[in-house]
Amino acid sequence: MSQYNDFGGASNPYYSNGASGGGYMPTGSPFSASGSPGGLKRSEASHSLRPLTAAQIIKATQAHTDADWMIDDMEVGQVTIVGQVCSVQAQATNCVYWIDDGTGRVEARHWVDSSNEEDAEKWSGIEDGVYIRVTGGLKTFGNKRYINATHMRPVKDAHEIYFHTLEAIHVTLILERGPPLGIGQAAQPRAPANATAITGGTNAYANQSSSVANFDEYSHLPALQRSIIRFILEQPHNDEGIHVAAIARAIGTDGDALKISQALDQLMDEGHVFSTIDDSHFNVSR
Amino acid sequence: MSEHVSTRVNSARLPFYIGKMVRLPCKILNFNSASATVQAADGGEVIIRLIADIPMSDTFVEVIGNVVDATTIKMMGCVNLGSDLDLKLVNDTIELIHDPRFYKRMFVPDS
Repeated sequence: MSQYNDFGGASNPYYSNGASGGGYMPTGSPFSASGSPGGLKRSEASHSLRPLTAAQIIKATQAHTDADWMIDDMEVGQVTIVGQVCSVQAQATNCVYWIDDGTGRVEARHWVDSSNEEDAEKWSGIEDGVYIRVTGGLKTFGNKRYINATHMRPVKDAHEIYFHTLEAIHVTLILERGPPLGIGQAAQPRAPANATAITGGTNAYANQSSSVANFDEYSHLPALQRSIIRFILEQPHNDEGIHVAAIARAIGTDGDALKISQALDQLMDEGHVFSTIDDSHFNVSR
Repeated sequence: MSEHVSTRVNSARLPFYIGKMVRLPCKILNFNSASATVQAADGGEVIIRLIADIPMSDTFVEVIGNVVDATTIKMMGCVNLGSDLDLKLVNDTIELIHDPRFYKRMFVPDS
């Protein structure tokens, strides 16, 4: 189809994101079938900080040295853990701590710059038996893994220990299942109320329950844009796209022509829809 | 490495850990030189057999020790947790730790 040649390049002014839909790819994502919103781009995951338990760190896998660490098939960059110091060994160039949080023990190393006095003070509160928070990157040395500690400090309030456990559970679940349902998704069980809130039409939304699963990635959009996308998705697949007049008819009297064309412009800016045979026909980027 | 597991528990979980190392966050009710009576996060009372020289100065502590039976722990170590600890929060956390959805995945190093 020759008209698709334009869409990959930068020549189309509406279409800065190419066919990728701005990172919300519903298929081809390694993370889950419905294009899980938990699917971070690779580079994002390696810069993010993940709270973990020692057991999770011990179970992390690495394809080969220098490859990224993986936990539950999710890339891990920086980690943070809260545990009790069970041993401190100060050596010439570094300091080795073993941290025990009740689920296992991990090693944390801090490379010391002994000429820097400030540094020495910063690390002085840490002794056997004290609960501390360690933050740093996961590394290997030989066949041992350890945390290369960029930051360590004693825990000041005991609640931090339990907070950390809860946060580790919370983040593990989010990465597995996506964030807790946003406003768009939460409307699903109340479908009749949702349909009347957005437009007067009910027929076009009869299939809501089956197609809503694909709307994870659109739940952050305003209602009018969501309903435009929903309408286009429900039409039988058509390379020529859907004419804007058909969209306007289906959305109902609520959206006047100007609002609809503004909504379509915004959707095109974000890459969710694109124009096909001419400026009046649109399709959703998939 | 994997032998150093001391799971956090409350009094209801003790029978499952007999002979194993556990961590019991608790409030000290009274103590003498040989043993202490504490209240675990779920309100149950547990007897802790003390060993010498471990300071238990705060009201709330986390006792690390071996479970002797469903109501007794032999202490190996102890961490002071201050004078103000929300035991309901701690109990909710402990129940989540033991929830089958998370327990093996996040809190046991071998599996």
